Amino acid sequence: MTASTSPVTTATAVTPVPVVSTGRVAAWWRAFAGTARFEWAGTRSYAPLVVVVQMMMGVGMAIMYGFFYPEIDTTTATLIATGVPTLALVPMGFVLVPAAVATQRLAGTFDVIWSFPVPRSATVAASFAVNAALALPGTVLALLVGVWRYGVTLHLSPVLVPAVLLSVLMCVAVGYGLALAVGNPLVINLVSNGTVFLVLLFTPIVYPASNLPGWLATVHDVLPFAPMAQVIRAGLTEGLVPDVGGAFLVLGLWTAAGLAATARVVGRRG
Amino acid sequence: MTAAPVTAVAPDRPVAPTETLRSGPSYWLAGFRTMVRWHLASMRMWLMLLALVQVLLGVGYVLGVALFFDEVPPIMAAYVSTGAPVFNLVLLGLLLGPQLVADMKTSGGYDYLQSLPVPTTAAAAAWYVVTLVGGVPPMLVTLLAARLRYPDLELAISPAVVPAVLLVVFAGTMLGYALAYAITDPRVIQLVTQVLAFGLVGFSPVVFPAQQMPAWLVSVNEWLPLTHMATIVRDALTDGLVTADVGRAYLVVSVWALAAGAAAVRELRRRR
Repeated sequence: MTASTSPVTTATAVTPVPVVSTGRVAAWWRAFAGTARFEWAGTRSYAPLVVVVQMMMGVGMAIMYGFFYPEIDTTTATLIATGVPTLALVPMGFVLVPAAVATQRLAGTFDVIWSFPVPRSATVAASFAVNAALALPGTVLALLVGVWRYGVTLHLSPVLVPAVLLSVLMCVAVGYGLALAVGNPLVINLVSNGTVFLVLLFTPIVYPASNLPGWLATVHDVLPFAPMAQVIRAGLTEGLVPDVGGAFLVLGLWTAAGLAATARVVGRRG
Repeated sequence: MTAAPVTAVAPDRPVAPTETLRSGPSYWLAGFRTMVRWHLASMRMWLMLLALVQVLLGVGYVLGVALFFDEVPPIMAAYVSTGAPVFNLVLLGLLLGPQLVADMKTSGGYDYLQSLPVPTTAAAAAWYVVTLVGGVPPMLVTLLAARLRYPDLELAISPAVVPAVLLVVFAGTMLGYALAYAITDPRVIQLVTQVLAFGLVGFSPVVFPAQQMPAWLVSVNEWLPLTHMATIVRDALTDGLVTADVGRAYLVVSVWALAAGAAAVRELRRRR
Protein backbone atom coordinates (compact mmCIF):
# COMPACT_ATOMS: atom_id res chain seq x y z
CA MET A 1 0.00 0.00 0.00
CA THR A 2 2.53 2.53 1.11
CA ALA A 3 4.91 1.37 -1.62
CA SER A 4 2.47 2.29 -4.40
CA THR A 5 1.72 5.82 -3.14
CA SER A 6 5.25 6.81 -2.12
CA PRO A 7 6.49 7.89 -5.61
CA VAL A 8 3.62 10.38 -5.90
CA THR A 9 4.16 11.89 -2.47
CA THR A 10 7.93 12.31 -2.97
CA ALA A 11 7.29 14.05 -6.30
CA THR A 12 5.00 16.62 -4.75
CA ALA A 13 7.34 17.11 -1.82
CA VAL A 14 10.17 18.43 -4.07
CA THR A 15 10.61 22.18 -3.69
CA PRO A 16 10.74 23.55 -7.22
CA VAL A 17 12.81 26.74 -6.59
CA PRO A 18 15.09 26.38 -3.59
CA VAL A 19 16.63 29.85 -4.10
CA VAL A 20 13.45 31.53 -2.85
CA SER A 21 14.07 30.26 0.66
CA THR A 22 17.29 32.29 1.15
CA GLY A 23 17.35 35.95 2.12
CA ARG A 24 17.01 38.60 -0.57
CA VAL A 25 20.50 40.01 -0.08
CA ALA A 26 22.11 36.60 -0.24
CA ALA A 27 20.10 35.76 -3.35
CA TRP A 28 21.14 38.99 -5.00
CA TRP A 29 24.79 38.29 -4.25
CA ARG A 30 24.48 34.78 -5.59
CA ALA A 31 22.88 36.14 -8.76
CA PHE A 32 25.60 38.77 -9.02
CA ALA A 33 28.36 36.18 -8.66
CA GLY A 34 26.70 33.92 -11.22
CA THR A 35 26.18 36.62 -13.85
CA ALA A 36 29.67 38.00 -13.23
CA ARG A 37 31.07 34.55 -13.91
CA PHE A 38 28.93 34.29 -17.04
CA GLU A 39 30.04 37.73 -18.21
CA TRP A 40 33.67 36.91 -17.51
CA ALA A 41 33.41 33.61 -19.36
CA GLY A 42 32.17 35.47 -22.42
CA THR A 43 34.88 38.12 -22.14
CA ARG A 44 37.80 35.91 -21.17
CA SER A 45 38.91 35.00 -24.67
CA TYR A 46 39.56 38.60 -25.68
CA ALA A 47 40.11 40.14 -22.22
CA PRO A 48 43.93 40.18 -22.52
CA LEU A 49 43.62 42.02 -25.83
CA VAL A 50 41.24 44.58 -24.31
CA VAL A 51 43.56 45.16 -21.35
CA VAL A 52 46.58 45.56 -23.63
CA VAL A 53 44.73 47.95 -25.97
CA GLN A 54 43.52 49.96 -22.97
CA MET A 55 47.07 50.17 -21.65
CA MET A 56 48.48 51.17 -25.02
CA MET A 57 45.83 53.82 -25.52
CA GLY A 58 46.23 55.20 -22.00
CA VAL A 59 50.02 55.32 -22.17
CA GLY A 60 49.84 56.63 -25.73
CA MET A 61 47.58 59.49 -24.71
CA ALA A 62 49.75 60.30 -21.70
CA ILE A 63 52.70 60.77 -24.03
CA MET A 64 51.12 62.23 -27.15
CA TYR A 65 49.40 65.20 -25.52
CA GLY A 66 52.86 66.48 -24.65
CA PHE A 67 53.79 66.62 -28.34
CA PHE A 68 51.26 69.35 -29.00
CA TYR A 69 52.98 71.87 -26.76
CA PRO A 70 56.14 73.71 -27.84
CA GLU A 71 57.11 73.83 -24.15
CA ILE A 72 55.48 72.16 -21.18
CA ASP A 73 55.27 74.19 -17.98
CA THR A 74 54.31 72.80 -14.56
CA THR A 75 50.60 73.62 -14.90
CA THR A 76 50.33 71.97 -18.31
CA ALA A 77 52.25 68.95 -17.04
CA THR A 78 49.98 68.54 -14.01
CA LEU A 79 46.85 68.93 -16.13
CA ILE A 80 48.01 66.31 -18.65
CA ALA A 81 49.17 63.78 -16.04
CA THR A 82 45.97 64.04 -13.98
CA GLY A 83 43.65 64.31 -16.99
CA VAL A 84 44.85 61.24 -18.85
CA PRO A 85 43.28 58.70 -16.41
CA THR A 86 39.90 60.27 -17.21
CA LEU A 87 40.62 60.02 -20.92
CA ALA A 88 41.58 56.36 -20.49
CA LEU A 89 38.24 55.58 -18.81
CA VAL A 90 36.04 57.24 -21.44
CA PRO A 91 36.69 54.73 -24.27
CA MET A 92 35.80 51.88 -21.91
CA GLY A 93 32.30 53.23 -21.30
CA PHE A 94 31.65 54.76 -24.67
CA VAL A 95 33.30 52.25 -27.00
CA LEU A 96 33.81 48.90 -25.28
CA VAL A 97 30.48 48.62 -23.49
CA PRO A 98 28.29 49.70 -26.45
CA ALA A 99 30.32 47.46 -28.79
CA ALA A 100 29.87 44.50 -26.44
CA VAL A 101 26.12 45.12 -26.24
CA ALA A 102 25.89 45.44 -30.03
CA THR A 103 27.76 42.15 -30.47
CA GLN A 104 25.49 40.44 -27.94
CA ARG A 105 22.45 41.69 -29.84
CA LEU A 106 23.77 40.42 -33.16
CA ALA A 107 24.69 37.05 -31.68
CA GLY A 108 21.43 36.68 -29.78
CA THR A 109 23.22 36.37 -26.42
CA PHE A 110 21.49 39.54 -25.33
CA ASP A 111 18.05 37.92 -25.04
CA VAL A 112 19.55 34.95 -23.22
CA ILE A 113 21.23 37.15 -20.62
CA TRP A 114 18.09 39.10 -19.80
CA SER A 115 16.02 35.91 -19.63
CA PHE A 116 18.06 34.58 -16.69
CA PRO A 117 16.06 34.26 -13.48
CA VAL A 118 18.17 36.87 -11.67
CA PRO A 119 17.47 40.43 -10.59
CA ARG A 120 18.27 42.73 -13.48
CA SER A 121 20.24 45.01 -11.19
CA ALA A 122 22.54 42.03 -10.55
CA THR A 123 23.16 41.66 -14.30
CA VAL A 124 24.01 45.35 -14.68
CA ALA A 125 26.24 45.26 -11.58
CA ALA A 126 28.08 42.20 -12.87
CA SER A 127 28.69 43.88 -16.21
CA PHE A 128 29.92 46.96 -14.34
CA ALA A 129 32.36 44.91 -12.29
CA VAL A 130 33.83 43.05 -15.26
CA ASN A 131 34.22 46.16 -17.39
CA ALA A 132 35.76 48.11 -14.53
CA ALA A 133 38.28 45.30 -13.99
CA LEU A 134 39.20 45.48 -17.67
CA ALA A 135 39.58 49.27 -17.70
CA LEU A 136 41.42 49.97 -14.48
CA PRO A 137 44.89 48.52 -15.30
CA GLY A 138 45.18 50.79 -18.33
CA THR A 139 43.99 53.78 -16.33
CA VAL A 140 46.51 53.24 -13.55
CA LEU A 141 49.34 52.66 -16.00
CA ALA A 142 48.42 55.82 -17.91
CA LEU A 143 48.61 57.79 -14.66
CA LEU A 144 51.99 56.30 -13.74
CA VAL A 145 53.48 56.97 -17.17
CA GLY A 146 52.16 60.55 -17.12
CA VAL A 147 53.67 61.14 -13.69
CA TRP A 148 57.00 59.72 -14.83
CA ARG A 149 57.09 61.51 -18.18
CA TYR A 150 56.22 64.97 -16.85
CA GLY A 151 57.79 64.70 -13.39
CA VAL A 152 54.57 65.58 -11.57
CA THR A 153 54.12 65.12 -7.81
CA LEU A 154 50.72 63.75 -6.83
CA HIS A 155 48.83 64.27 -3.56
CA LEU A 156 46.43 61.35 -3.26
CA SER A 157 43.31 61.98 -1.18
CA PRO A 158 40.41 59.73 -0.13
CA VAL A 159 38.16 61.53 -2.63
CA LEU A 160 39.87 59.42 -5.31
CA VAL A 161 37.98 56.26 -4.36
CA PRO A 162 34.41 57.55 -4.78
CA ALA A 163 35.58 59.66 -7.73
CA VAL A 164 36.90 56.68 -9.69
CA LEU A 165 34.02 54.40 -8.71
CA LEU A 166 31.36 56.92 -9.67
CA SER A 167 33.18 57.77 -12.91
CA VAL A 168 33.39 54.12 -13.94
CA LEU A 169 29.77 53.54 -12.96
CA MET A 170 28.70 56.60 -14.94
CA CYS A 171 30.63 55.44 -18.03
CA VAL A 172 29.19 51.93 -17.92
CA ALA A 173 25.65 53.15 -17.19
CA VAL A 174 25.65 55.74 -19.97
CA GLY A 175 27.35 53.30 -22.37
CA TYR A 176 24.69 50.70 -21.61
CA GLY A 177 21.88 53.23 -21.88
CA LEU A 178 23.28 54.49 -25.17
CA ALA A 179 23.64 51.02 -26.65
CA LEU A 180 20.17 49.94 -25.56
CA ALA A 181 18.39 53.15 -26.48
CA VAL A 182 19.95 53.41 -29.96
CA GLY A 183 19.81 49.77 -31.03
CA ASN A 184 21.32 49.99 -34.51
CA PRO A 185 24.96 48.74 -34.24
CA LEU A 186 26.19 51.03 -37.03
CA VAL A 187 24.78 54.12 -35.34
CA ILE A 188 26.18 52.99 -31.98
CA ASN A 189 29.62 52.63 -33.57
CA LEU A 190 29.35 56.09 -35.10
CA VAL A 191 28.14 57.73 -31.89
CA SER A 192 30.79 56.11 -29.71
CA ASN A 193 33.69 56.93 -32.02
CA GLY A 194 32.42 60.46 -32.56
CA THR A 195 32.09 60.89 -28.79
CA VAL A 196 35.65 59.75 -28.16
CA PHE A 197 37.02 62.05 -30.86
CA LEU A 198 35.12 65.04 -29.49
CA VAL A 199 36.14 64.22 -25.92
CA LEU A 200 39.82 63.96 -26.87
CA LEU A 201 39.88 67.37 -28.55
CA PHE A 202 37.04 69.53 -27.33
CA THR A 203 36.71 68.72 -23.64
CA PRO A 204 38.64 70.56 -20.92
CA ILE A 205 40.29 67.45 -19.47
CA VAL A 206 43.98 68.01 -20.20
CA TYR A 207 43.66 71.77 -20.60
CA PRO A 208 41.85 74.39 -18.48
CA ALA A 209 38.23 75.29 -19.25
CA SER A 210 39.32 78.92 -19.58
CA ASN A 211 40.74 78.08 -23.03
CA LEU A 212 37.22 77.41 -24.28
CA PRO A 213 34.75 79.96 -25.61
CA GLY A 214 32.15 80.77 -22.93
CA TRP A 215 29.27 78.80 -24.46
CA LEU A 216 31.35 75.65 -24.83
CA ALA A 217 32.52 75.90 -21.22
CA THR A 218 28.86 76.09 -20.17
CA VAL A 219 28.02 73.02 -22.24
CA HIS A 220 30.80 71.14 -20.45
CA ASP A 221 29.37 72.06 -17.04
CA VAL A 222 26.40 69.89 -17.98
CA LEU A 223 28.10 67.06 -19.92
CA PRO A 224 29.70 64.37 -17.76
CA PHE A 225 33.28 64.47 -19.10
CA ALA A 226 34.67 67.65 -17.53
CA PRO A 227 33.11 66.86 -14.10
CA MET A 228 34.67 63.41 -14.32
CA ALA A 229 38.08 64.99 -14.87
CA GLN A 230 37.45 67.38 -11.96
CA VAL A 231 36.61 64.72 -9.38
CA ILE A 232 39.49 62.46 -10.43
CA ARG A 233 41.90 65.39 -10.44
CA ALA A 234 40.63 66.40 -6.98
CA GLY A 235 41.64 62.95 -5.75
CA LEU A 236 45.12 63.24 -7.24
CA THR A 237 46.11 66.82 -6.43
CA GLU A 238 45.80 69.36 -3.67
CA GLY A 239 44.31 72.82 -4.10
CA LEU A 240 43.88 72.54 -7.87
CA VAL A 241 40.16 71.77 -7.88
CA PRO A 242 38.26 74.07 -5.50
CA ASP A 243 34.84 72.43 -5.35
CA VAL A 244 33.79 68.95 -6.38
CA GLY A 245 30.21 68.94 -5.03
CA GLY A 246 28.68 70.15 -8.30
CA ALA A 247 30.80 67.77 -10.33
CA PHE A 248 29.72 64.79 -8.21
CA LEU A 249 26.10 65.89 -8.63
CA VAL A 250 26.39 66.06 -12.42
CA LEU A 251 28.03 62.61 -12.51
CA GLY A 252 25.32 61.21 -10.25
CA LEU A 253 22.58 62.58 -12.49
CA TRP A 254 24.17 61.10 -15.62
CA THR A 255 24.57 57.74 -13.88
CA ALA A 256 20.91 57.83 -12.89
CA ALA A 257 19.89 58.77 -16.42
CA GLY A 258 21.97 55.95 -17.90
CA LEU A 259 20.55 53.41 -15.45
CA ALA A 260 17.02 54.68 -16.08
CA ALA A 261 17.44 54.30 -19.84
CA THR A 262 18.81 50.79 -19.29
CA ALA A 263 15.97 49.89 -16.94
CA ARG A 264 13.37 51.19 -19.37
CA VAL A 265 14.67 49.01 -22.21
CA VAL A 266 15.40 45.82 -20.30
CA GLY A 267 12.23 46.14 -18.25
CA ARG A 268 10.13 46.11 -21.39
CA ARG A 269 8.82 42.72 -22.37
CA GLY A 270 9.60 41.96 -26.02
CA MET B 1 7.72 14.68 -76.11
CA THR B 2 7.83 16.84 -73.00
CA ALA B 3 11.59 17.29 -73.34
CA ALA B 4 11.23 18.86 -76.78
CA PRO B 5 11.21 22.53 -75.69
CA VAL B 6 14.58 22.08 -73.96
CA THR B 7 16.36 20.58 -76.96
CA ALA B 8 14.79 23.22 -79.17
CA VAL B 9 17.51 25.75 -78.24
CA ALA B 10 19.07 26.80 -81.53
CA PRO B 11 22.09 24.53 -82.14
CA ASP B 12 23.85 27.14 -84.26
CA ARG B 13 24.18 29.58 -81.28
CA PRO B 14 26.76 28.18 -78.82
CA VAL B 15 25.86 28.61 -75.15
CA ALA B 16 29.38 28.05 -73.77
CA PRO B 17 31.48 31.17 -72.97
CA THR B 18 34.17 32.25 -75.38
CA GLU B 19 37.46 30.42 -75.05
CA THR B 20 39.66 33.33 -76.07
CA LEU B 21 41.18 35.24 -73.16
CA ARG B 22 39.90 38.80 -73.05
CA SER B 23 42.66 41.37 -72.64
CA GLY B 24 43.97 44.66 -74.00
CA PRO B 25 43.49 48.32 -73.12
CA SER B 26 39.77 48.47 -73.95
CA TYR B 27 39.06 45.46 -71.73
CA TRP B 28 41.13 47.02 -68.93
CA LEU B 29 39.32 50.33 -69.34
CA ALA B 30 35.93 48.66 -69.28
CA GLY B 31 36.87 46.89 -66.06
CA PHE B 32 38.17 50.14 -64.57
CA ARG B 33 34.97 52.01 -65.46
CA THR B 34 32.77 49.28 -64.06
CA MET B 35 34.72 49.14 -60.81
CA VAL B 36 34.60 52.92 -60.34
CA ARG B 37 30.84 52.76 -60.80
CA TRP B 38 30.67 49.78 -58.45
CA HIS B 39 32.54 51.60 -55.69
CA LEU B 40 30.63 54.85 -56.14
CA ALA B 41 27.34 52.97 -56.12
CA SER B 42 28.20 51.05 -52.96
CA MET B 43 29.54 54.21 -51.30
CA ARG B 44 26.26 56.01 -51.97
CA MET B 45 24.82 54.32 -48.88
CA TRP B 46 27.32 55.83 -46.51
CA LEU B 47 28.46 58.87 -48.46
CA MET B 48 26.83 61.26 -45.99
CA LEU B 49 28.50 59.43 -43.15
CA LEU B 50 31.89 59.64 -44.86
CA ALA B 51 31.44 63.36 -45.51
CA LEU B 52 30.49 63.88 -41.88
CA VAL B 53 33.49 61.94 -40.57
CA GLN B 54 35.85 63.75 -42.94
CA VAL B 55 34.61 67.18 -41.89
CA LEU B 56 34.65 66.21 -38.21
CA LEU B 57 38.21 64.99 -38.58
CA GLY B 58 39.65 67.89 -40.56
CA VAL B 59 37.71 70.81 -39.16
CA GLY B 60 37.71 69.16 -35.73
CA TYR B 61 41.50 69.16 -35.65
CA VAL B 62 41.80 72.71 -36.93
CA LEU B 63 39.43 73.99 -34.24
CA GLY B 64 40.27 71.53 -31.47
CA VAL B 65 44.02 71.97 -31.25
CA ALA B 66 43.47 75.70 -30.74
CA LEU B 67 41.71 74.89 -27.46
CA PHE B 68 44.89 73.34 -26.08
CA PHE B 69 46.37 76.81 -25.77
CA ASP B 70 45.52 80.01 -24.05
CA GLU B 71 46.96 81.73 -27.10
CA VAL B 72 47.69 79.59 -30.15
CA PRO B 73 51.38 79.80 -31.18
CA PRO B 74 51.63 80.66 -34.92
CA ILE B 75 53.76 77.58 -35.58
CA MET B 76 51.02 75.30 -34.19
CA ALA B 77 48.39 77.08 -36.27
CA ALA B 78 50.48 76.53 -39.39
CA TYR B 79 51.20 72.87 -38.58
CA VAL B 80 47.66 71.86 -37.72
CA SER B 81 46.25 73.70 -40.74
CA THR B 82 48.58 71.89 -43.12
CA GLY B 83 48.57 68.56 -41.24
CA ALA B 84 44.84 68.00 -40.86
CA PRO B 85 44.38 67.91 -44.69
CA VAL B 86 46.76 64.93 -44.73
CA PHE B 87 44.32 63.06 -42.48
CA ASN B 88 41.55 63.86 -44.96
CA LEU B 89 43.63 62.50 -47.84
CA VAL B 90 44.52 59.16 -46.26
CA LEU B 91 41.36 58.47 -44.23
CA LEU B 92 39.43 56.60 -46.91
CA GLY B 93 42.29 54.69 -48.51
CA LEU B 94 44.41 53.86 -45.50
CA LEU B 95 41.96 53.52 -42.62
CA LEU B 96 38.40 52.98 -43.87
CA GLY B 97 39.31 50.93 -46.96
CA PRO B 98 40.85 48.01 -45.04
CA GLN B 99 37.89 48.00 -42.65
CA LEU B 100 35.47 47.79 -45.58
CA VAL B 101 37.43 44.83 -46.95
CA ALA B 102 37.40 43.25 -43.48
CA ASP B 103 33.61 43.65 -43.38
CA MET B 104 33.34 42.09 -46.83
CA LYS B 105 35.49 39.17 -45.74
CA THR B 106 33.16 38.54 -42.82
CA SER B 107 29.99 38.89 -44.87
CA GLY B 108 31.20 36.88 -47.89
CA GLY B 109 31.04 39.75 -50.37
CA TYR B 110 34.82 39.55 -50.74
CA ASP B 111 34.80 36.26 -52.63
CA TYR B 112 32.15 37.59 -54.96
CA LEU B 113 34.16 40.71 -55.74
CA GLN B 114 37.27 38.58 -56.29
CA SER B 115 35.42 36.44 -58.82
CA LEU B 116 34.55 39.38 -61.07
CA PRO B 117 36.38 39.26 -64.43
CA VAL B 118 38.24 42.55 -63.85
CA PRO B 119 42.03 42.92 -64.17
CA THR B 120 43.62 43.41 -60.72
CA THR B 121 45.34 46.63 -61.71
CA ALA B 122 42.07 48.02 -63.10
CA ALA B 123 40.34 47.27 -59.79
CA ALA B 124 43.18 48.91 -57.85
CA ALA B 125 43.17 51.97 -60.12
CA ALA B 126 39.41 52.30 -59.74
CA TRP B 127 39.68 52.24 -55.95
CA TYR B 128 42.45 54.86 -56.14
CA VAL B 129 40.22 57.20 -58.14
CA VAL B 130 37.43 56.71 -55.62
CA THR B 131 39.72 57.51 -52.68
CA LEU B 132 40.78 60.69 -54.51
CA VAL B 133 37.13 61.67 -54.90
CA GLY B 134 36.56 60.96 -51.21
CA GLY B 135 39.66 62.82 -50.03
CA VAL B 136 40.19 65.98 -52.01
CA PRO B 137 36.91 67.87 -51.33
CA PRO B 138 37.22 67.40 -47.52
CA MET B 139 40.81 68.61 -47.74
CA LEU B 140 39.57 71.85 -49.33
CA VAL B 141 36.94 72.24 -46.60
CA THR B 142 39.62 71.77 -43.93
CA LEU B 143 41.87 74.37 -45.57
CA LEU B 144 38.95 76.80 -45.75
CA ALA B 145 38.21 76.24 -42.06
CA ALA B 146 41.87 76.80 -41.24
CA ARG B 147 41.85 80.02 -43.22
CA LEU B 148 38.81 81.28 -41.29
CA ARG B 149 40.03 80.15 -37.87
CA TYR B 150 43.57 81.49 -38.21
CA PRO B 151 43.36 84.72 -40.23
CA ASP B 152 47.12 85.32 -39.80
CA LEU B 153 47.97 81.98 -41.36
CA GLU B 154 50.02 82.40 -44.52
CA LEU B 155 49.22 79.74 -47.08
CA ALA B 156 51.19 79.75 -50.33
CA ILE B 157 49.71 77.07 -52.52
CA SER B 158 52.14 76.05 -55.26
CA PRO B 159 51.51 73.88 -58.36
CA ALA B 160 53.34 71.10 -56.50
CA VAL B 161 50.07 70.54 -54.66
CA VAL B 162 48.82 68.44 -57.62
CA PRO B 163 51.57 65.78 -57.58
CA ALA B 164 51.68 66.01 -53.77
CA VAL B 165 47.99 65.18 -53.37
CA LEU B 166 48.09 62.51 -56.09
CA LEU B 167 51.10 60.79 -54.52
CA VAL B 168 49.91 61.01 -50.90
CA VAL B 169 46.50 59.57 -51.75
CA PHE B 170 48.14 56.90 -53.89
CA ALA B 171 50.53 55.88 -51.13
CA GLY B 172 47.78 55.85 -48.49
CA THR B 173 45.49 53.80 -50.72
CA MET B 174 48.18 51.29 -51.63
CA LEU B 175 49.22 50.85 -48.00
CA GLY B 176 45.57 50.27 -47.10
CA TYR B 177 45.26 47.85 -50.02
CA ALA B 178 48.27 45.89 -48.84
CA LEU B 179 46.89 45.76 -45.30
CA ALA B 180 43.48 44.67 -46.46
CA TYR B 181 44.58 41.97 -48.84
CA ALA B 182 47.83 40.71 -47.36
CA ILE B 183 46.26 40.11 -43.91
CA THR B 184 43.70 37.36 -44.13
CA ASP B 185 42.04 37.61 -40.72
CA PRO B 186 39.46 40.47 -40.71
CA ARG B 187 39.85 41.00 -36.95
CA VAL B 188 43.59 41.53 -37.33
CA ILE B 189 42.89 44.05 -40.11
CA GLN B 190 40.59 45.98 -37.77
CA LEU B 191 43.16 45.97 -35.01
CA VAL B 192 46.04 47.02 -37.24
CA THR B 193 44.11 49.90 -38.80
CA GLN B 194 43.09 51.16 -35.37
CA VAL B 195 46.66 51.04 -34.09
CA LEU B 196 47.71 52.75 -37.30
CA ALA B 197 45.14 55.52 -36.84
CA PHE B 198 46.37 56.06 -33.30
CA GLY B 199 49.99 56.17 -34.40
CA LEU B 200 49.16 58.47 -37.29
CA VAL B 201 47.37 60.96 -35.09
CA GLY B 202 49.58 60.81 -32.03
CA PHE B 203 53.05 59.61 -32.87
CA SER B 204 53.88 61.04 -36.28
CA PRO B 205 54.73 64.73 -36.58
CA VAL B 206 51.77 65.49 -38.86
CA VAL B 207 49.84 68.13 -36.91
CA PHE B 208 52.79 69.28 -34.80
CA PRO B 209 56.46 70.04 -35.52
CA ALA B 210 58.94 67.18 -35.23
CA GLN B 211 61.04 69.24 -32.78
CA GLN B 212 58.36 68.67 -30.15
CA MET B 213 59.00 64.92 -30.17
CA PRO B 214 61.91 62.97 -28.69
CA ALA B 215 64.77 62.61 -31.16
CA TRP B 216 64.59 58.81 -31.34
CA LEU B 217 60.90 58.93 -32.33
CA VAL B 218 61.79 61.41 -35.07
CA SER B 219 64.44 59.00 -36.40
CA VAL B 220 61.93 56.14 -36.41
CA ASN B 221 59.50 58.29 -38.36
CA GLU B 222 62.22 59.09 -40.91
CA TRP B 223 61.71 55.58 -42.30
CA LEU B 224 57.92 55.52 -42.10
CA PRO B 225 55.72 57.11 -44.73
CA LEU B 226 53.42 59.33 -42.63
CA THR B 227 55.88 62.09 -41.70
CA HIS B 228 56.97 62.38 -45.30
CA MET B 229 53.38 62.54 -46.55
CA ALA B 230 52.90 65.51 -44.24
CA THR B 231 56.16 67.09 -45.45
CA ILE B 232 55.09 66.76 -49.09
CA VAL B 233 51.67 68.30 -48.53
CA ARG B 234 52.97 71.01 -46.20
CA ASP B 235 55.65 72.00 -48.67
CA ALA B 236 53.05 72.41 -51.42
CA LEU B 237 50.76 74.51 -49.21
CA THR B 238 53.22 76.87 -47.54
CA ASP B 239 56.38 78.80 -48.25
CA GLY B 240 59.41 78.46 -45.99
CA LEU B 241 57.74 76.37 -43.28
CA VAL B 242 59.23 73.04 -44.30
CA THR B 243 62.90 72.60 -43.45
CA ALA B 244 63.04 68.85 -44.13
CA ASP B 245 64.41 67.38 -47.36
CA VAL B 246 61.36 67.36 -49.65
CA GLY B 247 63.04 65.30 -52.38
CA ARG B 248 63.79 62.55 -49.88
CA ALA B 249 60.18 62.71 -48.68
CA TYR B 250 58.90 62.13 -52.22
CA LEU B 251 61.33 59.23 -52.59
CA VAL B 252 60.38 57.50 -49.31
CA VAL B 253 56.64 57.85 -49.95
CA SER B 254 57.02 56.55 -53.53
CA VAL B 255 59.01 53.53 -52.38
CA TRP B 256 56.39 52.67 -49.75
CA ALA B 257 53.57 53.14 -52.25
CA LEU B 258 55.15 50.91 -54.88
CA ALA B 259 56.15 48.22 -52.40
CA ALA B 260 52.67 48.15 -50.85
CA GLY B 261 50.96 48.20 -54.25
CA ALA B 262 53.13 45.33 -55.51
CA ALA B 263 52.43 43.29 -52.37
CA ALA B 264 48.68 43.85 -52.69
CA VAL B 265 48.52 43.03 -56.41
CA ARG B 266 50.62 39.91 -55.90
CA GLU B 267 48.29 38.75 -53.15
CA LEU B 268 45.21 39.49 -55.24
CA ARG B 269 46.52 37.49 -58.21
CA ARG B 270 47.25 34.43 -56.11
CA ARG B 271 44.72 31.68 -56.64
CA ARG B 272 43.19 30.14 -53.58
